[in-house]
Amino acid sequence: MSTLIAIRLRNAVVLLVLATMLCFALVVSAPGNVAVLIAELRTPKASFEQIRLVEEELGLNQPLVLRYASWLNGALHGNLGVSYKTGDAIGPALASRLPITLTLVVGGAAFAMLLSFALGFLGALWPGRLGDAVSRVIALLGASMPSFFVGALLIYGLAVELGLFPTFGTAGLSSWVLPWMTIGLLPAAVLSRVVRVGLEEAMARPFALTASAKGLSRRAILFRHALPNIAPTYINALGAQGGAMVVGAVVVEPLFALKGVADLFLQGVLFRDFMVVQACLLVFLTSFILLNLMVDIGMMFTDPKLRRQGANA
Amino acid sequence: MMAPETSSDLLQVSHFSVDLYTARAALRPVDGVSYSVAPGETLAIVGESGSGKTVLNFAPLGLMPTGVVTDLSGSVLFDGQQLVGLPEPALRRIRGGKIGTIFQDPMSALNPALRIGRQIAEVAELHLGMTHAQAEARALDLLKLVRMSDPQARLRQYPHELSGGLRQRAMIAIAIAAEPRLLIADEPTTALDVTVQAQIIGLLKDLQRRLNTAIVLITHDMGVVASIAARVAVMYAGRLAEYGPVEQVLLTPRHPYTRGLIAALPSVDDAPGSPFRGLPGTPPVLGAPLPGCAFAPRCPQVIDICARQYPPLRGSGGPGPGAAVACHVVNARPSKEQAHA
Amino acid sequence: MRRLRDLFQALAQLPRLAFLAVGLFVLLGVLAPWLAPYDPNAQDLLATHADPSWQHWLGTDHLGRDTLSRLIVSARTSLVGMSLVLLIALSVGITIGTVAGYRRGWVEEVLMRIVDVGLAMPSLIVALAVIGIFGTGYWNMILALALAWWPGSARISRAVAVGVMNRPHIESLRVLGASPGRIYFHHLLPSTIGAVLVYATADAGAVALSIATLSFLGLGIQPPTPEWGQMLVDALPYLESAPWQVILPGLVLTLVVIGFNLLGESIALNRVPTPLPRRILLKRRAMAADWRKAAP
Repeated sequence: MSTLIAIRLRNAVVLLVLATMLCFALVVSAPGNVAVLIAELRTPKASFEQIRLVEEELGLNQPLVLRYASWLNGALHGNLGVSYKTGDAIGPALASRLPITLTLVVGGAAFAMLLSFALGFLGALWPGRLGDAVSRVIALLGASMPSFFVGALLIYGLAVELGLFPTFGTAGLSSWVLPWMTIGLLPAAVLSRVVRVGLEEAMARPFALTASAKGLSRRAILFRHALPNIAPTYINALGAQGGAMVVGAVVVEPLFALKGVADLFLQGVLFRDFMVVQACLLVFLTSFILLNLMVDIGMMFTDPKLRRQGANA
Repeated sequence: MMAPETSSDLLQVSHFSVDLYTARAALRPVDGVSYSVAPGETLAIVGESGSGKTVLNFAPLGLMPTGVVTDLSGSVLFDGQQLVGLPEPALRRIRGGKIGTIFQDPMSALNPALRIGRQIAEVAELHLGMTHAQAEARALDLLKLVRMSDPQARLRQYPHELSGGLRQRAMIAIAIAAEPRLLIADEPTTALDVTVQAQIIGLLKDLQRRLNTAIVLITHDMGVVASIAARVAVMYAGRLAEYGPVEQVLLTPRHPYTRGLIAALPSVDDAPGSPFRGLPGTPPVLGAPLPGCAFAPRCPQVIDICARQYPPLRGSGGPGPGAAVACHVVNARPSKEQAHA
Repeated sequence: MRRLRDLFQALAQLPRLAFLAVGLFVLLGVLAPWLAPYDPNAQDLLATHADPSWQHWLGTDHLGRDTLSRLIVSARTSLVGMSLVLLIALSVGITIGTVAGYRRGWVEEVLMRIVDVGLAMPSLIVALAVIGIFGTGYWNMILALALAWWPGSARISRAVAVGVMNRPHIESLRVLGASPGRIYFHHLLPSTIGAVLVYATADAGAVALSIATLSFLGLGIQPPTPEWGQMLVDALPYLESAPWQVILPGLVLTLVVIGFNLLGESIALNRVPTPLPRRILLKRRAMAADWRKAAP
């Protein structure tokens, strides 16, 4: 198994290098002269001298490889450059915003997992009954409603009309409920289908009949025999939803006035603040690659066959 | 009466029929079948695939795949308890407890995500009320009982790490974990290598002696029948064609279908290169019950009445003179002629 | 309780609803200019946030624009955007996939590695970053979304193409001396395109969602072109006083995506045995009862 983990680690490192190259290449390939842009931002109608000064300052007149190396070196030390728009250092801004995004995504993922298992089991335990139909409808709606619409409905229904939750802020648990639900509904819908279909498939396999021949009840077979079989698929799907949740955060953070990394990213994209976009993208890609590494290792631990392959590799 | 109804019988099936419904069709895979099994006895049920032999055994236990519904009629008396109409919770206590089951393909019948030990111990926990530790210890004993090499290590292995023969041994350990009075083995050797088949049959015979378990063996392999069963029931299209002691059915088959089956077996005496002898025609597709004899279209001795009227099973299925046969032609003959048949 | 269950079941499995929603969406998109009762951008500042009336069936927005007209014209925006994204993504994906499936060997290895990297990245985030660097605009949005979607279609195309190449008739064509170009353009490409288009239906809903999401964020369709996501964000400040102007565009978009998702679901072939529905069981039991009547 350790060899298999080593292969995954190597792949992750390769992907990480590619991700840094992508982030760097994006800014380099930006249309228009960055130096002119920045100089214009500082002083309208910047002179040629001022532009030269900016180029000098950012090292834009050096060869690409050197620029990549120095950028990467800076990034590794938490120096991700300066926002063109505000002039603030990006590293510290990211550090202060990261906990908010993490709280949003982790909480949303927990909500999604809870809801997906509830819906999945509702359908698998009583197929063809009311609970099954309700779970299907919620899964279909969750997969089809844009998250900004879900957020708007939740704000209108639960916050404006019923006054149950605040519509913004990060004070206390209640202010997180709506953002978690908004960001978690889509992954919950997708994952509930994974649970549902996985359980049904497992229940149709011969070992389920064996379990029934042992005298186990349908419920016991679902939990003890079918559930362990869907674990690898579920973990894999959960990893894929991690990427989708970052996109969700870009919508949810502005909607609920959360000042997280996704909000910073969106500001950067809206104002073409290259360095901010680059830094946020690097953060997203890195966390995504790490998440997938965790998923791969998690799958190895839940799938006995993968474990043996690892032992033989 | 066809089946000798002695009170000592462990399993007594009489006039048992199954109507089976799927999304696509309604059919009757079992139609008016009667037989019995004494404690510690082995009965083989022989038939081609699709003859209803699996449904016959699993439907009374409520063991049907998802999407299949069965209606049972007639009587299945097991250990003094009527299985037909028994509610699911009561059936569950019997399944895996008093009746153990062995399936054809141990690879797919075992759960790939659970350790062998857990899959065995689970039965002991459920039916013998053992604690987790007791059940694990029992699983180890059972692996020794089925003569598994290195049982301690096997407990912690997964099905895909075992060979086919070892998997079937694990399956048998699961089936006998609660010391059942009856073991239903559905083609237990079909998916295995020929060399392993004999070992598994030997193991089943040995376990039967030790635990005094009755066995119903579902198979299409006459060699397996000869080596383990005391009595045999030949099934064709949901009905019993012939039913009696193994020596009589195998050596002096009377029903044209049984004769065809046995004549089709390759023999050591065959000259090399002699043509393969099969039964002409194909078995009927199961659907609505046929009014006449299901074998009539393939039968070399067919007479008028065969297509119109269903031949009842006549004669003693017990250790009496001759086997019971469901055939108009055979049963019309005087008994003197039977000896020559 | 039973009536409730029947209602939910009817809702849960209605492929007809899916066809209806998708068909209506395409029809609206094509005929929008003729169907819309008003110019979607005509402002009437004297009739802002009007309630539904005979004049304005679904009321007006904060600038007094007719909501029904804007909803209808948005269908066109969405349909055109979605088609462009899929067209570009599928063209790139099918080309790469079929070349990989045709050539195999190192060509396939290299191409599929690129596809794998594309699939390994959260594509929409990369698409957003691309917009951030190159600026907002219609074609930037289309290209960014196509960038996010091509790896998926490339992977499916390769799988389909490999399957086609393994068919015996391709082998016999090769033996008979058909030129590579003939095999590729006359046999491989048509079969692959057909199969991949079917998969694309399932993705169309997700593309529509992404266009709306980008427009909601102000990165996609730019005013004055009406678009559902943008209509929603425009109405959001007035959520408390005019909630319907928020709910309507969201609802229409949701219905369209539901249609595509149901369509995709009916295409996806996961045939898992399900319990026999009561209705069919009763029918089967009646069949068995007939046997008993026929043969006592």
